[in-house]
Amino acid sequence: MSSLVVKDLCKTYIVNKRQNNVLRNVNLKIEEGEMVAVMGPSGSGKSTLLYAVSGMDQPTAGSVSFFGKDMTSLNASQMSDMRLDEMGFIFQQMYMLKNLSIYDNIILPAYQSKKGKGKEKRAIINDRAKELMKKLGISEIAENDINEVSGGQLQRACICRSLINQPKMIFADEPTGALNQQNSKEVMKELNRINAEGTTVMLVTHDMKVAAKSDRVLYIEDGNIKGEISFGKLHENGDVRERERRISNWLMEMGF
Amino acid sequence: MFFRILKNELKRKRTMNIILFLFIAMATMFLASSVSNLMTVNGAVEYFLDTSKVPDNFVISLVEGEDDVIDEYLRNSGGVSEYEAIDTFNITNDRISIVEAANVSGSKYERTNTLCVQAISNDFMKVFDQKDQPIQLKPGEIAIAKLEAEQNHLQYGDKIRIKIGDVEQDFTITAITKDAVFGSAMMGFKRLFICKEDFERFADQDNLTHTKIYCINYKNEKEFKADWQNQNFNVIGMVDQSVLRMCYIFDMLIAGILIIVSICLILIAFMVLRFTIVFTLQEDYREIGIMKAIGLKDAGIKGVYLIKYFAIAVLAALIGGVFSFPFGKMLLGQSIVNMVVNQAGQNVLLHVLCAMVVVGIVLLFSNASANSLRKFSAIAAIRNGSNGERYQAKGRLRLWKRRQMKPGLFMACNDILSNPKRFAVLAITFCIGTLLILLPLSALHTLTGKNIISLFGMTPTDVYIENGRADDYVAKKSVDYIIDDLEEMEMTLREHGIEAKICMDLGYMIPCYSNDPEEMVSYLTQQEIGSLVGSYEVLEGREPKAEDEIMITDLTAKEMGVTVGDTITYQYPDKTQKFIITGIYQSLMNMGNGFRVSRTAKLDENYISGFPCIQVEAVDLESKEAYDHIKEIFPDYVVRTALEFVDSMTGDISNTIQMVMYLLTTVVLTINGLITALMMKAMMAKERGDIALLKSIGFSYGSIRVWQVDRIFLILIFAIVTGTLLSKILAPLTMGPIFAMMGANKVELEVKPLEAYVIYPLILLVVTGFVAFLGTLDVKRIEAREVNFVE
Repeated sequence: MSSLVVKDLCKTYIVNKRQNNVLRNVNLKIEEGEMVAVMGPSGSGKSTLLYAVSGMDQPTAGSVSFFGKDMTSLNASQMSDMRLDEMGFIFQQMYMLKNLSIYDNIILPAYQSKKGKGKEKRAIINDRAKELMKKLGISEIAENDINEVSGGQLQRACICRSLINQPKMIFADEPTGALNQQNSKEVMKELNRINAEGTTVMLVTHDMKVAAKSDRVLYIEDGNIKGEISFGKLHENGDVRERERRISNWLMEMGF
Repeated sequence: MFFRILKNELKRKRTMNIILFLFIAMATMFLASSVSNLMTVNGAVEYFLDTSKVPDNFVISLVEGEDDVIDEYLRNSGGVSEYEAIDTFNITNDRISIVEAANVSGSKYERTNTLCVQAISNDFMKVFDQKDQPIQLKPGEIAIAKLEAEQNHLQYGDKIRIKIGDVEQDFTITAITKDAVFGSAMMGFKRLFICKEDFERFADQDNLTHTKIYCINYKNEKEFKADWQNQNFNVIGMVDQSVLRMCYIFDMLIAGILIIVSICLILIAFMVLRFTIVFTLQEDYREIGIMKAIGLKDAGIKGVYLIKYFAIAVLAALIGGVFSFPFGKMLLGQSIVNMVVNQAGQNVLLHVLCAMVVVGIVLLFSNASANSLRKFSAIAAIRNGSNGERYQAKGRLRLWKRRQMKPGLFMACNDILSNPKRFAVLAITFCIGTLLILLPLSALHTLTGKNIISLFGMTPTDVYIENGRADDYVAKKSVDYIIDDLEEMEMTLREHGIEAKICMDLGYMIPCYSNDPEEMVSYLTQQEIGSLVGSYEVLEGREPKAEDEIMITDLTAKEMGVTVGDTITYQYPDKTQKFIITGIYQSLMNMGNGFRVSRTAKLDENYISGFPCIQVEAVDLESKEAYDHIKEIFPDYVVRTALEFVDSMTGDISNTIQMVMYLLTTVVLTINGLITALMMKAMMAKERGDIALLKSIGFSYGSIRVWQVDRIFLILIFAIVTGTLLSKILAPLTMGPIFAMMGANKVELEVKPLEAYVIYPLILLVVTGFVAFLGTLDVKRIEAREVNFVE
């Protein structure tokens, strides 16, 4: 089953009475369990595409089907529920609520979900959160303030938050953009692991090293997908350097 | 460069600048109007008495051949510097009627008390219209006392007829008076004014009761008073200005409330200013850090902010100053309705000065806050407000420990506990607002409560009647005559199937002293007559029972330096009468001064001066039933409930306080609403990132609004509870002294729980909550994708 089917997606912004067509008839399909990276020059519409297909932004035209559900037919509240229960988000900014501890930030979406009401369910959520933090190696920072941890730890906490409601798909916008090389590696390792466990991942990146760890890379320019390159699963065909070289050549061909 | 930064500052941070602007304008409005009102209210009574040219002392005398003697005495008295005799004639019910009135169907005119007519042209005791202007009357025009107009539902343009003997004339009401001397409900004498020509036509008629009012200014007060006592003139009353001043005590209750309101508003204004400046400056850490990073010095950065705040403050203070005029007038106009007020308080210069003070304070606060610029480092700007220093957050709740709590409510509680300082202004404002409502409410509830009749030193009964025969009783000077009348009244009630007991507190004005005859005082002595034997509350000792026993108010006891067991001597022209003090009591009657003797005491009937009302206690009926029946049986009498009687005694004080309550509630709700709206705006500007994040991870629009509104509700509930608890402490401290000034030192302030603890808090919660809810509409405008652009 396809996780995401996007047809003729358009997004237009009106800025100072001038129309800016950011996305122009984008068509794409992401299969369940796939990990897809979107690359392209600045202002090409990468992030806009991510936000439009994840329901964070309303498309101007076209349709988006998320696991068979037509997202364009959902109202704001249904869209929020879908984002809460079925999607996970990771941002470049590693934004968390300042007044909550790392742990509370992680469990917040689960407590908010209709599936997380009641003492027993919340106990299960807590177990899940602890397990996730353990897996991502951040158990020791659970009670810390967000100012007390490193960028890498914070991004891993954001990944925990995105996974707490066991989403069908993760959307990541430059997840390693604000991290150093070591932290980037660790975050991508986690994303690959999550993906290997069956969660579909769509990520936007500038970084070839990040893109090289994806199954497929899309190239977007002027609001249109100009091309794509497929590698298959990293664990099946794991020569990252080779992948990076191919991406580099391919991007040059695309004029990047 | 400097001005380019400044220009961008003003343009780019529009929301915060508008918030700052509005808060400064509001602060100016509160400060200027409050200072102006404080100046107006402070010394309001003195101003009113001076403007009205009220003499040091005045004497009311029924003209029965004694007027020439009094005139002669005053002309030659060494203690008198100047005097004027004002001629008036009394009007009885049969001589006055309503001819044409918009709100009245019948023609019957009901006097509030002794009513007399005088010409407008006297030098002393001037009266003013409701716009505080001196009154000018042409023939056929009449100026009517405010209480008379209210009693008869008369208004400007209505016509009343005066008919005396052969002379009959219709008068058009062209003024409703503010009368410094007789305007108060405490003064049992009211004046109508006509022009001199009209007055002279009536004054010549036979069968008129003429009354002269002698206005006396002292040359030597002590000499005059001692000498006057020795003259033994038979006058209705002699009133000193100090006594008259006490008639305005109920107006001063309102003025006192206004002063408390003004102080609270000034407090709110300053608090809000400080908060806004600190808040807006904290928002700018990034810009400040960047400016530092590119090499601008602290002084230069401070200059940018000071000039920005100065520009906003000047403009806002100007607007606030303009609005302070109508706002102040609205507060004052609704509160001080019976007095001519000093317009000097409304001086433009004063408002300008207040606006300048606000600008100065803004600069002061800004300067103090800008000193903290040193703390904002370039590194903090680059690292999104974090300078890399690791610290443990304090006072935080844990979501995982609260498994039953909804996340929205949890976040609201957690935000408040994590950063209480941020919400302090809201909490204090709401708390002050609650106090502003609850403090006057306690005064209102006490004045309309079940104990109010006892506070007037009277026994509580079902019904309080004025039969319009006060003049007759005073003129007859016979207790038996009055008792016969009361018995007749009881008979009439019995014939109508109502078994009732009746009593009356007959008043005597007899000069008396404690030890030294030179220190004579003249306060009202009350004696209960009639079939109903009432009980009277005493603070100390017991009620008088024997004929030579007396109880005395605590104020008079203090003034005379006496206590239980001492003796009071009544001084008649040819004899004295001694009483032993058996008890001390308190009374709002006669401003807390007076005596009460036992039913068996024999006082000189020549000194009968009046009575407050006839009191009826029905044996088998509830108060309401008795009131309805008695009203039907005596259609010509003024029949009142306890509350109506108190209102008649206090000049409708409960209604005035009720009006002030409405006004205060509106003001408090407006302030709460305004501050809530602005704080919501300010907080939302700061929490844009949080809201975007919550939206992005799937929080619905509604749940984010719940979080925002919950915070306001929690603060509001906390403030209301704190305000209510504080009011318990502050009410006796603020309202107690006001009641003490009126004559009751030991007042148990009453509270009607439903109104004080349910209705008003609910109004505050609903209205402020609604404003907070509206304030969250902006949540919709913040988009989830903004989470990646948040600074």
